[in-house]
Amino acid sequence: MENFFELLWQPFRDFWAGLVGFIPNFLAMLIIIAAGFFVAWVVKAVLSKAFSALSFDAWCDRAGLTAMARKANVWSKPSDIMLKVVYWFLAVVFAMIGLTALRLQAIDSLTMQFFTYLPRAFSALLILIIGYVITGFVSRAVLIAAVNAGYRYAKLLAEAVRMLLIVLILAMALEQLQVAPGIVVAAFSIIFGGIVISLAIAFGAGGIEAARKVIEKSSEEKKESDRDIEHL
Amino acid sequence: MLPCARRGRKTDKMAEQPEKADIIVGIPSYNNADTIGHVVRAVDAGLTKYFPGKKAVIVNSDGGSSDGTPEAVRSATVDHDTFLISHPAYPVNRISMPYNGIPGKGSAFRAIFQKAVDMQAEACCVVDSDLRSITPEWIELLLTPVAKKGFDFVAPFYSRHKFDGTITNSIVYPMTRALYGKRIRQPIGGEFAFSGALAEFYLKQDVWNTQVARFGIDIWMTTEAVANSFKVCQTFLGAKIHDPKDPASSLSDMLVQVVTTLFDLTEKHSGAWMGVKGSADVPTFGFRYHVGLEPVKVNVEKMLDVFRIGVKELSGIWTDVLGPGDFKEVESISAVPGASFRFPSGLWTRVIYDYATAYYRKKMSSEHLIKSLVPLYLGRTASFVMEVEDKDHDGAEAEIEKLCLEFEDKKSYLINNWR
Amino acid sequence: MSDFYQTDIITTLHRLGTPRLERLEYELEGFTKQRPMTLVLPALYTEFQADAIKGIIEELKKVRYVKEIVLSLGRASDDEFDRAREFMSAIPYDVKILHNEGKRIKEVYATIDRNGLWAGEDGKGRSAWLAYGYVMAAARTDVIALHDCDIVSYSREMLARLCYPVVNPNIDVVFCKGFYSRVTDRMHGRVTRLLITPLIRALQKLVGGHDFLAFLDSFRYPLAGEFCMITDLAWVNRIPWDWGLEVGVLSEVFRNYSPRRVCQVDISDNYEHKHQSLSADDASKGLMRMSVDISKTIFRVLAAEGVVFSENFFKSLEVGYLRLAEDTMVKYEADATLNGLVYDRHEEAKAVEAFVKAIYKASQVLLENPLNTPLIPSWKRVSSAIPGVLDMLRAAVDEDNR
Repeated sequence: MENFFELLWQPFRDFWAGLVGFIPNFLAMLIIIAAGFFVAWVVKAVLSKAFSALSFDAWCDRAGLTAMARKANVWSKPSDIMLKVVYWFLAVVFAMIGLTALRLQAIDSLTMQFFTYLPRAFSALLILIIGYVITGFVSRAVLIAAVNAGYRYAKLLAEAVRMLLIVLILAMALEQLQVAPGIVVAAFSIIFGGIVISLAIAFGAGGIEAARKVIEKSSEEKKESDRDIEHL
Repeated sequence: MLPCARRGRKTDKMAEQPEKADIIVGIPSYNNADTIGHVVRAVDAGLTKYFPGKKAVIVNSDGGSSDGTPEAVRSATVDHDTFLISHPAYPVNRISMPYNGIPGKGSAFRAIFQKAVDMQAEACCVVDSDLRSITPEWIELLLTPVAKKGFDFVAPFYSRHKFDGTITNSIVYPMTRALYGKRIRQPIGGEFAFSGALAEFYLKQDVWNTQVARFGIDIWMTTEAVANSFKVCQTFLGAKIHDPKDPASSLSDMLVQVVTTLFDLTEKHSGAWMGVKGSADVPTFGFRYHVGLEPVKVNVEKMLDVFRIGVKELSGIWTDVLGPGDFKEVESISAVPGASFRFPSGLWTRVIYDYATAYYRKKMSSEHLIKSLVPLYLGRTASFVMEVEDKDHDGAEAEIEKLCLEFEDKKSYLINNWR
Repeated sequence: MSDFYQTDIITTLHRLGTPRLERLEYELEGFTKQRPMTLVLPALYTEFQADAIKGIIEELKKVRYVKEIVLSLGRASDDEFDRAREFMSAIPYDVKILHNEGKRIKEVYATIDRNGLWAGEDGKGRSAWLAYGYVMAAARTDVIALHDCDIVSYSREMLARLCYPVVNPNIDVVFCKGFYSRVTDRMHGRVTRLLITPLIRALQKLVGGHDFLAFLDSFRYPLAGEFCMITDLAWVNRIPWDWGLEVGVLSEVFRNYSPRRVCQVDISDNYEHKHQSLSADDASKGLMRMSVDISKTIFRVLAAEGVVFSENFFKSLEVGYLRLAEDTMVKYEADATLNGLVYDRHEEAKAVEAFVKAIYKASQVLLENPLNTPLIPSWKRVSSAIPGVLDMLRAAVDEDNR
């Protein structure tokens, strides 16, 4: 009979022991999370001062970033958005650290994953931002050069270049994030190759006549241009 | 450029050169063996005939020609007996040297400035090496205002075909005139004379790694002289006939180099031009006459084609730069067909001022910005060509004068948007 | 007005014979296919509680040539904004309401502000300016017409006559201002009659024949709030945000366009709107403040045109003005007697005294700080400093009106 009570009692005792053992961990977690919010708050306050000193908002306005955000119906000040992002990022990081204090296997491995993934997410973001800038630059260069060369479908060409670059950059970013890398590479090869081949075919088959005309025209022009206008 | 430099030092030593000189004539060159002999002979004759008592040196600043240009400089001979009664007191020395830095006309000029400063020359001038119409009188016309009249800077003034020099006529001349108030008709002429003091001033400027080192040098020299209140004048040289420009140097590159320099200078000297109102003539030397020039072929259709494509395809960039109002006006003129197409002066003035402001505000990469001006420029040029087709030289000049007045009149527009 | 006299510089379009509204509207419908038009209405919410606006909306319902109405609503809460929207929904074509006090538009103002381009204090000037910005951002129309929302005697003929000269490509006018007489049992429009006209003429005597003064003097009713212009003008104009608005707009038109492309049109036989009260003591209220702002604007434009002002200049100006104003009163008294109108000589004389004070105050402000100009920067200037600002404004308005 005693055994039976022992059997009944044992789980409660274990639970209690576990609870007593767990409470310090739990408190540690709470403290870390609270500290996280505090640190995030301090960083936010410092950054906010720095932003207003550097007139970050005005800079965003002039760079056209504000207008971009507002077209997406985001109406807060750019600095507020930045501050919120930084604040919550720090808060989440500390929350993750805090969770490890619980010493639970599942959570531990989750936070491990989170922290090992962080650098990749950063570099993917960086690729996207730099890629966005480069894409705009290159496609505009193509557009202007094509117009100045008298090419009728300049915008189309520039858009095509932009699409190609976007596909390339998205593929790079996804590859960096390691989202099904095999499929990304394969899909990218197929899409990119497809575009190139279809362009080649389009220009090859459809453009022979046009190309001949262009060549004929330019050689004709060479013949007749004796003295052209001097611009300088 | 290294091998050139080494060879250069050797030539320098070999040529027996005076340490000091009163007059220096610079000739920048790059593969001009065919024409440079004539230029050197004309310069030599001009110097001996008109400046017989002065120590003069011809400096050829070469960009590493492979066709024997330096040799052509040295071997060009002048028979002084044919035009001189007595023998000259000093023979004219010649130096041929390669220059360092970015290949281009500006770097060649820099080397000439350096020589002028080293030799403490009081008067200098530069002439292009591909000139076919240069005569000994040019040297007199260019150098006399500096050597005898106390001017610091002499700009050339040519009689040109009414269709030629369109970048000058539609952008550079009206804009520099409106900005600085001095009517220098050919701010990017190619031939200039300047005093030793001005050469020293030029040399001190830190611009030799920019577009100034290339095509931008001419406008840069003129503007710096005007904006820094040096005494400027111009001199009439008759017709300028020279080899066709290198076809590889495309219109858009030319436009980028010249206009970038123009706009850079506008930004740099904003303090100097803000207060200037109207414009005044500068003293002009030489005897003015108009020369009949060989006809020029212009393909207006092709220009208009590029302009119309620009309206359709560059609408985004142009709206950004010009604003929706002026862009709409550009759009509406592009719908006018063929011979009745006109690009109004007022609109063109605003276009150029808008581009200057956009450049100043760094709206986009400067190269993209200026290249996107090319179709607008072609539209304006086509309009100008059709406008003056049936007019004589004076009629065409009157059109340019009208444009200049428009630029002066609308200057407050630029100032307002600039601030 | 029944004469056909042409004033000095600009074109005057009179009301002659019995013009038919149907013909005007029929032609306008044709012209606006090529040159679509926006009607801008600056309004305060309090005006929605008055009767005038009901009449205006009833009339506007029948108009078929206006492509869109942009109503720039001031001093309204979010609820009031919704009520105004409901009110305007009776109109069968596009209506956009700019919620000046809304959080999005406020953000737009804040964005402009923090880039060193202050858009001025709340008022008709800023409100109209914002509406122009939206019209240009939406880029649907080439012509902007504008009138107030407190016109008791509104008829849609006013609008038709106002925009006809600009919309008709054969007349080729860039700016057209309305004029009319304001008579009930007495003459109204004191500021124009007794301040502006005598002031301009007194200035002309002191300065000599100045183009701008001649230009301003050509307008029969320079303070009329009704005008129509091409959209491009809204792009380059810098307008004052205070009461100097109307005169400021005229000065910008003068600066940017040839007077040959400017006209005024007789829009109404009779016109009535709510009247301002005259408070001689408090310069910040009613007519007094208005007169100070107007005088200031005229002086500022002249100063920019190179006229040099001094303490003594203003002393002689006050004397010269007072004499001319008194002469003018005599003229109007005769006019009133002939037409059997009430003419309160005492009230008019009190107004002139107040105007002299206003001129003095304006001169002090100008002498103390000639550069302190209450101008809203042009949209051109704003959008070159903040790329995409027009898109931002458009997004704000479209979102508010969803």
